[in-house]
Amino acid sequence: MIEADFEKALPLFTLRARFVVDSVTAILWGESGSGKTTVLDCIAGLASPDRGRIALDGATVFSSDEGVDLPPRERRVGYVFQDYALFPHLSAEENVALALPPGDRGLAREYLSRFGIDSLRKRRPPVMSGGERQRLALARALATRPRALLLDEPFSALDRATKETTYREFLALRDELAMSVVLVTHSRREAETLGHGVIELRDGETGPMLVSDTAPTGA
Amino acid sequence: MTPGSVRPIAFSLGVASAATVVTLALGLGLARAMTRRRVRLAGLWETLILLPMVFPPTITGYLLLLLLGRRGPVGSALARVGLQVVFTPTAAVVAAVTVSLPLMYQSCKAALASVDRRLIDAARTLGLDEGRVFRRVTIPLAAPGILGGVALSFARALGEFGATLMIAGNIPGRTQTIPLALYSAVEGNRSAEANAYLAVTVGVSFSVIALVGLADRAAESVRGKGSGTEGRRR
Repeated sequence: MIEADFEKALPLFTLRARFVVDSVTAILWGESGSGKTTVLDCIAGLASPDRGRIALDGATVFSSDEGVDLPPRERRVGYVFQDYALFPHLSAEENVALALPPGDRGLAREYLSRFGIDSLRKRRPPVMSGGERQRLALARALATRPRALLLDEPFSALDRATKETTYREFLALRDELAMSVVLVTHSRREAETLGHGVIELRDGETGPMLVSDTAPTGA
Repeated sequence: MTPGSVRPIAFSLGVASAATVVTLALGLGLARAMTRRRVRLAGLWETLILLPMVFPPTITGYLLLLLLGRRGPVGSALARVGLQVVFTPTAAVVAAVTVSLPLMYQSCKAALASVDRRLIDAARTLGLDEGRVFRRVTIPLAAPGILGGVALSFARALGEFGATLMIAGNIPGRTQTIPLALYSAVEGNRSAEANAYLAVTVGVSFSVIALVGLADRAAESVRGKGSGTEGRRR
């Protein structure tokens, strides 16, 4: 479960995010420049809100009142970045293994197979296709067994033909994971088809919103 | 190579190598500290690091002499524990480090700044602590720039004359580096010896530049610029 209720002043406006995502996939929708990525960065610990509280599975990871601000490595959040941010100097297998404790490196191949890219394990990201890179980014993010998964425009780097198959794959993965997922997009179509509920970011604010396995409702 | 030229050449290469190792540790450490977070008086510290680049080397050497000499603040403290730096091989290393640090620092700082922030962020979300992020992600991606700094610093250390003369002297067989020995050889009309220094310096300089070129190309294939087939091109 992701509980977010925070504020952060940005150069042009103040971002206010209030939502709860309970074990389903929520779409965070907004125009470009509306602060979507900053919301993800605050949940992952890469940016700090000015005030408020963020909790993952009930554990507080940020709280201005209690003075809590856990670093990203202690939050256990899987993050698939826009353009994927794969390590160009490491092979696909090393990209995943880097996140695993020394004894668990063997798991890297398991995750690569799960996403159908085990045969590419020796390749480095710059020579992989967009679709392959996206799978690798997902494998890497999930190998750490995160409490929540954040996806920043994960389909925007793909061509149209790849997109269609990837949408289907994502829907299957989403239902299999049963994890709290926040997927950022500015595409109306992705917002309507890929999530269990849509959190709209308008004028720097999200309404109070609960996305759970019951129908999404304004809280 | 003439018999008289062997000592200065070996000594110079040793001093430049030792100085480069020290400069790399110092330059990379300082660059990391200055780029990681806001440092108080950052401008002042940076000016101090860079000063030897614009100072005449003899002035840098004189300042080092004031600092490290028997009556200097550092020199007198070292003398109390029985250490003397001035006019020793160590002084030659100190001089070389001082004049090459600005080049190393600037190269490392630019190299660290060139690494994509999002890759560092990605490593953090994957659970790596700051030390591992630096070793496994930042350093490998900044390597070409750092290596450029190593090459520049080594060349600068090898060519150091003024500051070395001031604090290490020009003691044949003890603190005489290639530039100092060359100066003495030309003054003493020993042209065969002088030409040996020229040949060695040209050889070393060419190899250093070639090495940087090779490393750059390898790094580019790692980053996959221009893409192509798997692995390195050619």
